[in-house]
Amino acid sequence: MSADIKNDGDPKPSSAEATVSLPATGIAIVERKEPPPEKESDTRRRSWIVLSFWLIAVFIGLPIWWNTTTIYRANLPLTQMTDWADGKACEPVFPLRIALDVGSLPEQEAQNLLRLTQHALDDLNDFSGHHLRLQLAQAPTEATTQVRDDSNVALTIRLAPGDAAHTASSSLHPHLPILDVQYPPNSLPTANSPSSGLATYIATQLGSTFAEEQNIISYLLETSSITPEHRPKGISQEVVDTVSKRMTRSLKYSQTYHLTFSLFTNGPVPSSWDIEAAIDEYMKPVLDMLKTIHDFTIDTQVQLYASPGVQSHVLGKEDLSSFINAAEWPLSPSIGGAPTVNFIVYIGNQTIGVPSETDAAETSQSWMIPQWGSVYLLAPPPAEAAHVSSETLKQPILTFTSHLLTLLGTPQSGSVPLRLSTLARIRSADLLLRASSSLGSLARLTLALPSISIPSNVANGVVKTIHHLELACASLGGAKSLEHARIAEHEAERAFFEKSMVGQLYFPDEHKIAVYLPLLGPIGVPLVMGLLNEIKAWKTRRSQKLKAA
Amino acid sequence: MTKDKMSFQATAGTAGLFVVAAALRLLLFTAFPGLPNLLTGRVEISTPVTSFKRLQEGLFLYNHNVNPYDGGVYHQAPLLLPLFSLLPDPSTYPIFTYILYTLVDLLSANALYKIAESGEGGASRLYSSPRKEKRWNGYVVAALFLFNPFTIATCIGRPTSVFTTCAILHAVAKALSGNIFTSMLSLSFATYLSMYPLLLLPPMVILAYDRTYNPKVPKSLAQLAGMCTLAVSASLALLFLSSYALTGSWEFLSSTYGIQLTLTDLTPNAGLWWYFFTEMFDSFRSFFLGVFWLHLSSYTPALTIRLRQQPLAVITLLLGIFAIFKPYPSIADTSLFLSLVPCFRHVFPLLRYSFVTASVVLYGTFLGPAFYHLWIYAGSGNANFFYAITLVWSLGLSLIVSDLAFAVLRDEWEVERPEMRGKEIRQI
Repeated sequence: MSADIKNDGDPKPSSAEATVSLPATGIAIVERKEPPPEKESDTRRRSWIVLSFWLIAVFIGLPIWWNTTTIYRANLPLTQMTDWADGKACEPVFPLRIALDVGSLPEQEAQNLLRLTQHALDDLNDFSGHHLRLQLAQAPTEATTQVRDDSNVALTIRLAPGDAAHTASSSLHPHLPILDVQYPPNSLPTANSPSSGLATYIATQLGSTFAEEQNIISYLLETSSITPEHRPKGISQEVVDTVSKRMTRSLKYSQTYHLTFSLFTNGPVPSSWDIEAAIDEYMKPVLDMLKTIHDFTIDTQVQLYASPGVQSHVLGKEDLSSFINAAEWPLSPSIGGAPTVNFIVYIGNQTIGVPSETDAAETSQSWMIPQWGSVYLLAPPPAEAAHVSSETLKQPILTFTSHLLTLLGTPQSGSVPLRLSTLARIRSADLLLRASSSLGSLARLTLALPSISIPSNVANGVVKTIHHLELACASLGGAKSLEHARIAEHEAERAFFEKSMVGQLYFPDEHKIAVYLPLLGPIGVPLVMGLLNEIKAWKTRRSQKLKAA
Repeated sequence: MTKDKMSFQATAGTAGLFVVAAALRLLLFTAFPGLPNLLTGRVEISTPVTSFKRLQEGLFLYNHNVNPYDGGVYHQAPLLLPLFSLLPDPSTYPIFTYILYTLVDLLSANALYKIAESGEGGASRLYSSPRKEKRWNGYVVAALFLFNPFTIATCIGRPTSVFTTCAILHAVAKALSGNIFTSMLSLSFATYLSMYPLLLLPPMVILAYDRTYNPKVPKSLAQLAGMCTLAVSASLALLFLSSYALTGSWEFLSSTYGIQLTLTDLTPNAGLWWYFFTEMFDSFRSFFLGVFWLHLSSYTPALTIRLRQQPLAVITLLLGIFAIFKPYPSIADTSLFLSLVPCFRHVFPLLRYSFVTASVVLYGTFLGPAFYHLWIYAGSGNANFFYAITLVWSLGLSLIVSDLAFAVLRDEWEVERPEMRGKEIRQI
């Protein structure tokens, strides 16, 4: 419109045309009358108007454009990030310290046994990511206090002379990370013997105890972003298959899990249950032990007249997956930060037709749903009782507890304390690797898209991640490692999924033309044309002036 | 006979007109009790920065000693709150609100009456139109404002933009009567309420300068401009400080003017901004906010320079441009623009598209609500329906603005080239 006004102001050319008739030919020749010359004041006024538009465009428009479209790219330590992703920054090695409590053996013999066992272990173990280091228990007094003082010791071997004459035997302590080994008194190695039956035996026992952990950790390394040359020797395909099957069943790591216990009944009764007492009694001890790795929040609910997704009385294998009536049962998905683990007790007259043979923990009444939770079918109480007692819930809760451990990714062999400490190590390795690979992705993204803006909080997140990764790597296998790895992983995820960056991920440079042209073209054309006209008019004026001079 | 009629109108004055207009409004308010709330909810009348509903929300919070800007609903000036909390609760005694809004309309009409009576439209200090004899008197202009359906709908919908309208019209009227400081104070009030009237300062200064010009003791324009700027800044500072004292924080600045500057509330309205910014890429949002605001403000200097001789025409054209291009326009802005257009009765014969513009505006007026209904309530249309009709509406308004600009300029040009009167012209 501005152009309109300007031009309307110009003295109009006369469209009135003089027609001159030539009498001879009769042809009308149209002759244009020239408009009178423009007044000096009008020209000056027009220049002022063009100038006013240009002043606004240059002195306000350009700074706005500059300020709002410059891409801020915070400096990222790219080489460090790729080093982490490639595994160059941290050797994923888990030094596990095993204490050897030799009881009443003399020092000399104990040292000898230690040396031989370490030797046998090193021969046995070909996986460099997992070092077992033997040491003598410092105070050969009470092993239990020893364990609590030094949390870096993964396992204590308690040697005691046994009764059996020829064979050694061993057993894992059910509540403490202790391997009791009973050896025949005559099997102790002599000072100079190159090998010993007892040492080999202990080494084999240790190897089998930690075999599962080794497999899982090498599986994690195998599937991570670490380049092969920085990765310890691989594992066989079948081990990968079994481990991956188990890992896909377990939930993604989270600091907190939300446990939901639901009682669904197909009729009006029972309508109440002693769930709190049952959990306190049967599940709480395990939850307490898990406290160092996870926090748990718990809620419970009861729903009457709940019909399952499958109506048949005997549930076949294919029915199990559709048993959960997701449409009608109030099973909330994960709201808030913590993922939900669902435990469902269903009271009805349905049974499972195919008892599971693969898993000993699964009875014919329950099954586990990978990454989701588990279901337990309970027979209706005999006398139409409205209440489910805590004794009735004992079996379901114990089943749920074992399912919970599986869902959390706990290894399946060994005693409970060993499994839990293994879980902590696996999880810290897992988080460490995931954080590293996020860093690598972020570094690749930064290099691939030079037009993406990188806010300073992303850079802060990266620095924090690297700091905590270093701490976690330094204390790998120790207690602090999990904590640091978790912070690192959290920060790395937050840096990668920064809101303002995700939006630009799919914004190629060609789009900018599409944004600028249609919107700024209509403004730009009159501006530029006005300026060009002014310059032209100024040139003609000057040349006329020169001519006159 | 015509002469008799004219003289009768002049003697009867405007009292009769005002009584009839007030009666009509109060009748509409009371005879159709559902009408005020219906119109309050219309997006064409109530925008996020003027809505009466949002005002009530802010009022409720204010009366319960909660910061009225908490909750992100209220985006209007803080000083409106004590004014409205003086009135009885509008839901129980709505009549007081009705009377207030009717009075504001009458005040606006009175200012408009003075503007039309001054004859500034046809003859200013530096320019006198050859057609100036052909003009409407204040009575007709005020009547055209008071009985304009847009004005009536705005009054009944009770948006707070009527206060801005009133303040702008009074600023013009006071500038015409030579009360420079009252005029600047009035303009500051308008700016305080809606921000955009600040862009009217340059033509307002020129208007005041021209009207107080004394050939015997010529003052400098720059001096007056400086004084006016100072007066506006001082009164704005005073208003801001009292708002600060009222709400206890400077948060009101970001909640009122910040909303207009950043367009955070994308409620559909009759303007062009909301649709653009729902579609805009996030990374370009702030840039295009700057572009849109610059576009809006770039008209002021150019029009002021071009139409230096007719400052009232500059103000009228700028109000038309604001009604199209401001971030939250409503029909209240349109009615303000249309109320000043009759002051240029003398150039009406020069308008080229009066039939087209009238039909386009009518088309927009009737189809706008229909398409909004199709989109929001019936669900058989989508946002593009409503946006298309707001485009048509804006096209109609911009036709009026450009046609009026053309007519005013042609009128000026014919003084220069009297031989071209009534002839066809062509742009080179």
